[in-house]
Amino acid sequence: MLVPASLDELLASVAADTRADLIAGGTDLMVEVNFGRRSPESVISVALVPELKSWYRSGDEVILNAALTYSEMMRPPLCELLPALAQAARTVGSPQIRNAGTIGGNLATASPAGDTLPVLAALEATVVLESAEGGRAVPVGEFIVSVKRTSLAPGEIIRSVRVPARRAAQEFLKVGTRNAMVIAVCSVALVADAERREVHLGLGSVGPVPLRAPRAEELATSLFDWDEGVPRASEKELARLAELASEAARPIDDHRSTARYRRHAVGVCARRAFERARLPDATGRRSVTP
Amino acid sequence: MASSVTLLGHAVERSEDPPLLTGSARFVADLDRPGMLHAVFVRSQVAHGLLRSVEVAEAAAMPGVVAVFTASDLPLADLPEWPRGEPPRAELGRPCLARERVRFVGEAVAVVVGSTLSAAVDAAEAVTVDIEPLPTVLDPLDALAERAPLLFPEHGSNEVLRQLTGAAGALDGSEVVVRGHFYNQRVAPCPLEPNGAAAWPAAGGRLDCFASTQAPFRLRAAIALALGRPEETVRVVAPAVGGGFGAKGGVYPEQLVTAALAERLGQPVRFVETRSENMLAMCHGRGQVQEVALGARRDGTIVGLEATMVTEMGAYCWRGPVPFSTSRIMATGPYRIPKLSLTSIGAVTNTTPIGPYRGAGRPEATAMLERMIELLAAELDLDSVEVRRRNLLAPSEFPYAAPSGASYDSGDYSAALAKALALLGYEQVRAEQADRRQSSCATELGVGIATFVEISGSGSEYGAVRVEPGGSVVVLTGSSPHGQGLATTLTQIAAGMLKVPISTVSVVHSDTALVPRGVGTFGSRSGQLAGNAVAHAVEEVLEKARELAAVELEADPDDVVQLEDGSFAVAGVPSISLGLAELARRAGGPIGAEWDFAQESGTYPFGTHIAVVEVDTETGKVELRRLVAVDDCGRVVNPKIVAGQVHGGVAQGIAQALFEAVRYDESGNPLTTNLADYAFPSAAEMPAFELGETETPSPRNPLGMKGIGESGAVGAAAAVQNAVVDALSPYGVLHLDMPADPERVWRAVHEGRRDGQDPFSSSS
Ligand SMILES: Cc1cc2nc3c(=O)[nH]c(=O)nc-3n(C[C@H](O)[C@H](O)[C@H](O)COP(=O)(O)OP(=O)(O)OC[C@H]3O[C@@H](n4cnc5c(N)ncnc54)[C@H](O)[C@@H]3O)c2cc1C
Repeated sequence: MLVPASLDELLASVAADTRADLIAGGTDLMVEVNFGRRSPESVISVALVPELKSWYRSGDEVILNAALTYSEMMRPPLCELLPALAQAARTVGSPQIRNAGTIGGNLATASPAGDTLPVLAALEATVVLESAEGGRAVPVGEFIVSVKRTSLAPGEIIRSVRVPARRAAQEFLKVGTRNAMVIAVCSVALVADAERREVHLGLGSVGPVPLRAPRAEELATSLFDWDEGVPRASEKELARLAELASEAARPIDDHRSTARYRRHAVGVCARRAFERARLPDATGRRSVTP
Repeated sequence: MASSVTLLGHAVERSEDPPLLTGSARFVADLDRPGMLHAVFVRSQVAHGLLRSVEVAEAAAMPGVVAVFTASDLPLADLPEWPRGEPPRAELGRPCLARERVRFVGEAVAVVVGSTLSAAVDAAEAVTVDIEPLPTVLDPLDALAERAPLLFPEHGSNEVLRQLTGAAGALDGSEVVVRGHFYNQRVAPCPLEPNGAAAWPAAGGRLDCFASTQAPFRLRAAIALALGRPEETVRVVAPAVGGGFGAKGGVYPEQLVTAALAERLGQPVRFVETRSENMLAMCHGRGQVQEVALGARRDGTIVGLEATMVTEMGAYCWRGPVPFSTSRIMATGPYRIPKLSLTSIGAVTNTTPIGPYRGAGRPEATAMLERMIELLAAELDLDSVEVRRRNLLAPSEFPYAAPSGASYDSGDYSAALAKALALLGYEQVRAEQADRRQSSCATELGVGIATFVEISGSGSEYGAVRVEPGGSVVVLTGSSPHGQGLATTLTQIAAGMLKVPISTVSVVHSDTALVPRGVGTFGSRSGQLAGNAVAHAVEEVLEKARELAAVELEADPDDVVQLEDGSFAVAGVPSISLGLAELARRAGGPIGAEWDFAQESGTYPFGTHIAVVEVDTETGKVELRRLVAVDDCGRVVNPKIVAGQVHGGVAQGIAQALFEAVRYDESGNPLTTNLADYAFPSAAEMPAFELGETETPSPRNPLGMKGIGESGAVGAAAAVQNAVVDALSPYGVLHLDMPADPERVWRAVHEGRRDGQDPFSSSS
């Protein structure tokens, strides 16, 4: 096991041993190892590379470095900049998992149930990859290609994730069998971007990859009162929104849930996320009454 | 220091907690010895099959491997069938290591012993087990069907137990009959510490065995039997035990194998399960199919109950007979049900063996009855509280001979019901529910009640008390407390009756070398049995002390009295008194006594639990808002310990009602083998419990105590289940099996919709 102390050292180690497994918090990798599903020959840690830690603002973007933990996502001021990401982080595992687990690990694992993924989809995040040869940036929708498959190339690492930090309403909702330590049966992230005047929906656990719901987004965009910063929709329109979100889902049956329930619940969550959405004012405060 | 008068009934702080909280308590996994070897079991990955061969050569040759054993190299007698005393049926025996056939995923097939744990783990993966798969049977009703694959062909059937109680015609004379078909689902006990055992040869040819067990004496007997040794040459110690809930009350193959390995290899051996292993190898609980009909008159008076209870045994008829027989005994619960016609069946299936788990048959019987009461109330359009009131046994009817043969000791069931309703504010909650139903709110409110009686404290237990000349008091108990707080309770009893400070009393338990005999802690037995054994021994000590004092004070023993400070004096002459320690010194040694307290017919704790839930009808999520539990366990020695037992039991009852279920795929592969897939709840799912009590002493023991270890799990599960169904009643839902997880609830709402419309048919 190698523990590089700088990004250059990390990239050199990865280039030298492209078959090595990277480890950040280890909360996915070690489960695989413990269950005998993976037996790494060599492991390279990204956890102590300073360039991969923490986050920063750059213009109207927030740069989330790959080793950013869930606990860090939950702390101000980041949780105020990206409230849906913070909400998603709060639902992940237990305090121990949130202290160790990282956004880079969540992305690289690319599980359909990864909780940050619908948020990153709704934010239209860009994943920044790096190797000894150089870097490239890919939209999150292209980074995750199928169940637990990414477009990460040998020798490449996830360096960071870029997301917009514009004035927006953000919500995250998750359905599971209990309140803590729960793998999502389905989840929904909503971003109502005040500058672009667009509502985006990211759907989790209802397809091989995090999905968007273009028709539901279109309807939601038209129903949002961008001047007041609140949703305005009749019961019938809300029902239609739920229906369109359900239609966008491509769920499967598994031992946690049936496709039928997932499809239904994701619609309910989309509708509720929309009903709750409130744009913050210029000071960052959200209005309470529609 | 609390005086004797206040000591019983006082919330004395638990003496058990500091070592647990500070991490100084030692569990099996913490036990170490020079040269400790590690045992790892190779388990069947096939639910049913013929064992063709077990190739161990490769594993045995790996570095750090000391030995590998299969059934043929480590011949051990089959595990004892339960209940003992009945003629054993050799063809149904449960082997320690599988022979010829495997019957569930997780069954131990071989054991690898390594000098390190990792060496043993790696080598276990190198053992090749060749199994010819056979058709599996997982559902107990399928198992009973004709032409079902047989687990024990020599037995000729998967039906391994059958008992008829009462006579046909229980419903005769009914004006109304309601029927139900229920499944009380299989759950996993999930103690935080899984099973584990360690053993090593000790001086004098003795084999010392340490196990995470609730019943060291039972384990000692089983080890002695398996190894063909006299019991005196085996010592069993239960170190700190991280929860058992009944599942650690029996003897496991792994424990006997560990002892056999230590004997065979002449070296210390330790075995500790992983969580995933625990989910396969530790017994599961519940697992009962109920086909029920309840007959009544139009005014709600019950006429009779007709039921078939099919209890899953899992792969072996091993400890499943415990819930099988307890659910039979408690089949009519707290109600006056004059006629019973009950068929109890035990069926084997290709699943982890069933055993007792907190409640062990009581929750099954309670859930069945409480669902039936609700169905009857719905049929008659009566409030179910009213139906309960009309049928609950009255205090004047005790002792009560139930149709199952049980003899209930004492009770005031209506008083507990009334108290729980008052604590809840029943009328207000119903009014809130009515308002909610008027509105178009998607979140429905539900109220669920369970009135119940259960059985506790059968058999006997050993207790002894010794006052040392130095003033310390040693209490010995044959019970094996592991977190409940029994040591504190026994300390209170001894200190209170002897009138000595609590700090002078120590309790010795869970070591067969230090305690001459005993049974263990399970079945809500220890407080009452061990408590009364100790109380009786204390009385004898006091009697001996009085006689000694009489000699010393040159008085007639009848004239000697014990003063408030605990010393003895001649009545009317308190200035000249002798303390207990002084008397022991003068007698030249400790003053002691021992007693085995027996209570063959048990005691019957009871209560009423009420749950209030909110059900999100769009997602199906159930939020438990309130849980009121009024329990009556007779005389209370320590209210804090009683509350602790109720809290734990209630949490496990809620867990069954809303979250937990062991699941298998069609081929018998378990799907819930870790705590991510098995929805074991945490404090985040629990409301603050609202507890109350009534106190109806038992006439069956001098202290008037009844058990409290299980009632939480008995009442709460049924109360929460009823609450969920109540919330869904506007949708035409009459019953919902547990657990009420979001999907199941949503389906019920959806399928129950009167308009029958599928709102998402366009998209599904
Ligand atoms: C008990 C428990 C509960 C959990 N609950 C949740 C939950 O509620 N929601 C949820 O979404 N997840 C959950 N998880 C899964 C896991 O915690 C998350 O996916 C987490 O984000 C993984 O991050 P990590 O840093 O621990 O990844 P690691 O385990 O260290 O790595 C995971 C994968 O990512 C790769 N990797 C890590 N960093 C990089 C990088 N910089 N570049 C390229 N590849 C990289 C590794 O090689 C590995 O393949 C849970 C896990 C456990 C054990």
